[in-house]
Amino acid sequence: MKFTIKRAAFIHNLTDVQRAISSKTTIPILTGLKMELTQEGLTLIGSDADISIESFLSVEDDKIELQIDSTGSIVLPARFFSEIVKRLPEETMTVEVEDNFLTKITSGSSEFTINGLDANNYPRLPEIEDTNKLMLSADVLKQLISQTVIAVSNQESRPILTGVHMVIQNSELLAVATDSHRLSQRKIHLDIPTDVHYDIIIPGKSLTELSRTLTDGVDTVEMRIAENQVMFIVDHTSFYSRLLEGNYPDTERLIPTSSTTQIQFDAPVLLAAIERASLLSHESRNNVVKLTLSPADSTATIYGNSPDVGNVEESLHFEELSGEELEISFNPDYMKDALRSFGQATIDIAFTSALRPFTLMPSEDHEDFIQLITPVRTY
Amino acid sequence: MKQKNLYDSFLQLEQETQQLLSQLDVIKETMSGTLEKDAELEIENEHLRQRLEELQKDNASKNNDSDENGLSKSKQNLEKLYEEGYHVCREFYGSRRENDESCMFCTDTIYEDHH
Repeated sequence: MKFTIKRAAFIHNLTDVQRAISSKTTIPILTGLKMELTQEGLTLIGSDADISIESFLSVEDDKIELQIDSTGSIVLPARFFSEIVKRLPEETMTVEVEDNFLTKITSGSSEFTINGLDANNYPRLPEIEDTNKLMLSADVLKQLISQTVIAVSNQESRPILTGVHMVIQNSELLAVATDSHRLSQRKIHLDIPTDVHYDIIIPGKSLTELSRTLTDGVDTVEMRIAENQVMFIVDHTSFYSRLLEGNYPDTERLIPTSSTTQIQFDAPVLLAAIERASLLSHESRNNVVKLTLSPADSTATIYGNSPDVGNVEESLHFEELSGEELEISFNPDYMKDALRSFGQATIDIAFTSALRPFTLMPSEDHEDFIQLITPVRTY
Repeated sequence: MKQKNLYDSFLQLEQETQQLLSQLDVIKETMSGTLEKDAELEIENEHLRQRLEELQKDNASKNNDSDENGLSKSKQNLEKLYEEGYHVCREFYGSRRENDESCMFCTDTIYEDHH
């Protein structure tokens, strides 16, 4: 195997693939980068068994200036190889595999020889047919990911909750995540037949990594679903993730359908106030802020208290307030995460009682996005 | 010779550490067993007290089954368990609520509108 390529293009693809390569893997060969050279071009593959990323450099792409002398494949230690490639002196480099997987990397007057591994020992990537494909807008997908992964659980003791539950039916994609303290649900419309139905759980970590590969230049993402794998194709890069097995808890029943107190806020204004109130609550043992709503007096007040440090009280600026009086306490960190996901929007918060979860929704498009936070009981 | 001594003392240390670890395990097991028993006894005690109270009330007017939140007796029991720091939801029933964090599955189980 021997090829010459423009370094900048190679590094660009290598950076994508490297996201999947972890130095802490139980399968030693996965610390390596797999390169597969055919007459059509060069494929780079990285994997940590959960996530795999495959990126293709086509011989037909003039910008890459890929010259193929002989085809073949090799696995090289990813960390060293990428450090070497990034520091080579010239614009182009040549990679040549010699006997015993010894690989020579040359650029200008610099020449490295590193030990490679037999590519036949590298695990095969799953093959996913393109019959079950969905086209998604990259921007929408990125937003959906950022809005739901905040609520994913990071406790390995509840594996199922470390994923985002995605249900596709009736031409809609419903994504839900919850760590049982808060919940986030986003719905998007898809241009697909109404009889297409899927019910999958994608690990939150995979989605976070996927979201990083969705840079500004990307318009659409192709999503393919198989038995226990999901695949996203972005340009010449394919992103594979395993799916979580099991039944996701029924979350539909958790979302309240009615409310007794309603308030409308400008999300950034409330976020700033919560951030101030949480300065002290973080010092206290139970990290709680208290919100008092009084529609009769038309006031909304927030308190933060930490016995050792002091307390804070702030009268909140809101848009609208109606319903019954209420005093409710909650973890300000969950509130902050939730509010950040709304950006600059105006939001409606609806409460049922001091003990039941409350909902946050954008004032426009109530249907599409909802966040749920459980209050903390205080005595 | 010196190196051999060093190795021997490493070996000894290793054995001691392993021993310590297994001891720790045993103690941990015993402790969690005791704690469990303690919780069980406390609940048992509570039940007995309740029974006693009921008996002492004789045939006094039949008390109302719901509390101020409109919760039935069984829901009140669930609420009490929840407040003691255990999950009462179907998803994680019986496991400890870490850091006393609230759980929306539990609150749904306890306070759901009775449908």
